[in-house]
Amino acid sequence: MTVLDRLRLDGRVALITGSGRGLGRAMALAFADAGADVVCSARTQAEIDAVADEVRAKGRRAAAVRADVTDSASVERMVERSLAELGRIDILVHNAGGRTAGDGRPLHMISEADWLAGIDANLTSAVSCIRAVIPPMLEQGRGKILTTASGLGLRGNRDLNMYTAAKAGVINLTRSLALSYGRHNIQINTMALGLFPQTEAQATRWGGGRYIPVGRFGTTWEIGPVAVFLCSPAADGINGAVIVQDGGGLAGGVTPFGWAPRIPLPGASA
Amino acid sequence: MSDQPSPPAAAGGALPPPERPFDLRGRVALVTGAARPLGGAIALALAEAGADVALAGLTGSADEHFQVNSAANQVWSLGRRHLALQVDLTDPVAVEAAVQRVEDEWRRLDLLVNAQDLLFAMPFGETSLEEWNATLAANLTSVALTCQAAGRVMLRAGYGRIVNVASVAGDRGVMNMTAYAAAKSGVLALTRALATEWARTGVTVNMVQVGWYEDQAGIGDDPEHRKTLTKILPARALVTNDEVTGAVVMLAADSGYFTGQVVAVDGAATARI
Repeated sequence: MTVLDRLRLDGRVALITGSGRGLGRAMALAFADAGADVVCSARTQAEIDAVADEVRAKGRRAAAVRADVTDSASVERMVERSLAELGRIDILVHNAGGRTAGDGRPLHMISEADWLAGIDANLTSAVSCIRAVIPPMLEQGRGKILTTASGLGLRGNRDLNMYTAAKAGVINLTRSLALSYGRHNIQINTMALGLFPQTEAQATRWGGGRYIPVGRFGTTWEIGPVAVFLCSPAADGINGAVIVQDGGGLAGGVTPFGWAPRIPLPGASA
Repeated sequence: MSDQPSPPAAAGGALPPPERPFDLRGRVALVTGAARPLGGAIALALAEAGADVALAGLTGSADEHFQVNSAANQVWSLGRRHLALQVDLTDPVAVEAAVQRVEDEWRRLDLLVNAQDLLFAMPFGETSLEEWNATLAANLTSVALTCQAAGRVMLRAGYGRIVNVASVAGDRGVMNMTAYAAAKSGVLALTRALATEWARTGVTVNMVQVGWYEDQAGIGDDPEHRKTLTKILPARALVTNDEVTGAVVMLAADSGYFTGQVVAVDGAATARI
């Protein structure tokens, strides 16, 4: 078996939340290309139907299962239907989440309801989805779980209180779960993504990518190979890891802070 | 290349999606530390993904060169071009010459994987300056020298993928490994800084942080030590070579947005307190 065989997902069934569009859709298509059957899940039926059709067009089985990840009963039904339609769940990618109402304002201006809604969408949703897929994975004797975090779960950002706290929660939840279930051959990792704008407005608001060390935004398809790798047998030794794909943002900070002028050693000629 | 920050304009766009994922056909790789089983496995994996591979050891000794040659033979058996280099990685002139040789032979150098490793463990109070210097030279300076020499070729081409293989000892304190840890932690700092410095050149620099692994000389050789290790590690097992090679191939084939980062292949060892 070569390394390219171990980087495949043949015969695996992947459940991907938030896969009606954007990064979740990109992962669904990359997984299908790598040989996986895919359960597409999101709140908008028309979108997941379309992505499921794209997966089928690649010759893989697909199901479109509508769910609201902030409702644990809905999550339970999503997992039941996934098992009923495709027979098993080998991979869970919990990709649903994002900024919610009120975030980006100073804390004293955020209502408790807005705060809780954000934590529900980003952190508690991960708990519900993972809790629901663990029993079938334990029964199957293996599993891969990928959560999506952010550089904002590792560093602070002014007024993004809910988002930074929730994503930090996702990261450390991932680490602890990795220690709980690693011995049952379930690997749980998280991807912290840099800026992958999904709208023109986002791209403009984020300055066209010029403050990112590599000088550009992430392109949506670029998440695919990294996610495929992390859910493949090639990553069996990777557990509880935070995998960051951010154009050098966390390594160097936003430019120009990751830069110093020439400073020769004392006595040396410049 | 300028040492000033790039002007605030997006430098270069994303590459289009590849037809095949993790495809290294047409790429030329240099793998150092290929005399060790892990380095040899990495060279083989890159060849499986389609790359032509030049292989070097660490010290350039005759014994080591025999091992490098046998890894090179495995690359050859896959139908890829191979080149076994005998080089002391702590000697800047020799490293420069080795990289030049690859360029002379194949006219390019796309991938550099630093997989050399010199394990050293001794109580810090008993560590001599010679031992300290040798540990730093083999584990850290060698990485700087190969990055500098290979980097020059990559900067000219506007494309390069550098993967430095380092250790959990650079992330967590390990008794008796002060010198080794300082060197491995240095590789992490080098990776981040160099990735930032070269961020707009098309060259990415990443690190694979490997946990205690099966084929590491000295680790797990002693049955008592092995028993203790496998008892305390969350995975209850040492890392195998096959668990590392996929991460290296993924980073080698990446489209360029993954840089300055660490992929920990350690069975959750550093996820824990």
